[in-house]
Amino acid sequence: MEVLKTDEERGLALCADERGRRETVEIALVDAAEGDTLMVHAATAIARVDGAPA
Amino acid sequence: MKFVDEFRDAELGRALAGEILAGVEPGRHYKLMEVCGGHTHSIYKYAIDDLLPENVELVHGPGCPVCVIPMGRVDDGIALARQEGVIFTCFGDMLRVPGSDGSFLDAKAQGADIRMVYSPLDALRMAKANPEREVIFFAIGFETTAPSTALTLMRAKAEGVENFSVMCNHVTIVPPLRALLDSPDLRLDGFIGPGHVCTVVGARPFEFIPADYGKPLVVSGFEPLDVLQSVHMILTQLAEDRREVENQYTRVVPYEGNLKALEVLGRVFELRPHFEWRGLGFISQSALKLSAAYADFDAEERFSVPGVRVADPKACQCGEVLKGVIKPWECKVFGTACTPERPIGTCMVSPEGACAAYYNYGRFSQEREAV
Repeated sequence: MEVLKTDEERGLALCADERGRRETVEIALVDAAEGDTLMVHAATAIARVDGAPA
Repeated sequence: MKFVDEFRDAELGRALAGEILAGVEPGRHYKLMEVCGGHTHSIYKYAIDDLLPENVELVHGPGCPVCVIPMGRVDDGIALARQEGVIFTCFGDMLRVPGSDGSFLDAKAQGADIRMVYSPLDALRMAKANPEREVIFFAIGFETTAPSTALTLMRAKAEGVENFSVMCNHVTIVPPLRALLDSPDLRLDGFIGPGHVCTVVGARPFEFIPADYGKPLVVSGFEPLDVLQSVHMILTQLAEDRREVENQYTRVVPYEGNLKALEVLGRVFELRPHFEWRGLGFISQSALKLSAAYADFDAEERFSVPGVRVADPKACQCGEVLKGVIKPWECKVFGTACTPERPIGTCMVSPEGACAAYYNYGRFSQEREAV
């Protein structure tokens, strides 16, 4: 999901999926900034997708 | 979408399939297990197995969280849901999983207050909005989902929410893999590693597979090109007589995992001495319970739970499917008595279940389309 806005005080971010659906996501486990792509499970970001080549 | 479209490129997929075909040894049969139910879903959604040579067989592993929940735990959950004043919450997939006397949906139809949530955080919000009720979250999932439950419990504790608790069914992936590798039923050549679990735990916990069992494992992403590249990497290791853990999913998985998530898991959970897995029986240290610091939030401590073990229906062969011993279409009730609309076994419920993936994408027999 793409980060649209972060609320660092509450450890939350507003994110959008590939269809544009918005969801509030816990970001306590990752360093997230606006425009980042996050791997989200059960409304919790568990990784930031960084595009390193395989 | 970035990180998605480029991994669904059909031309690149065909080229990769060609490289796989050129690299396999004629006359040799390769049996690879995709550990994660998410991979099973991708393989059939994108017909990835149709791109593989006939002598490369994909076997489906135990990595579908809904599929491995035994009937007794569903019965225990329903017993909790029927208690006075309880709002019982769970993920949508769990609602249709049959217990010995019906599913959560059946219990809801009979009057229990059972509600679907998308996350444990939703359940916590529900608890805060209903302070006069007890809200229980039925937590399932591997190490991928457990951090979400852990963070929610930490929030509940920090905010002093006393009417929220968790019935914990979180499981860990390494012990069942070791059980499968020790099983005489199954001969495997390599593993497509669970990319999402590795996001949290990293690749290191899987090093025992090459070290102790001499099999390669490639941590894999979930798009079609990810899976094809992982198959190619496993077959290359076999051709070069190497046995290693490799990471195909580098855009998401750091080799050491997510250290913050591991710290949170260690704070909130501890290992259960043993836990029952559907089809695999009791496996030592294969599941999580709430640690002493979070015992006040443990629904099994706060409420009376029957804790009765229930045998699977005789007709259901989910156990053999989960161990990769049979294919879904070999089960006697697949697609007839057991369908996604009226499932008998767990593997037919979740989209990540092998039976549901076969059924939904029309795999009713052994036939495969030619490459």
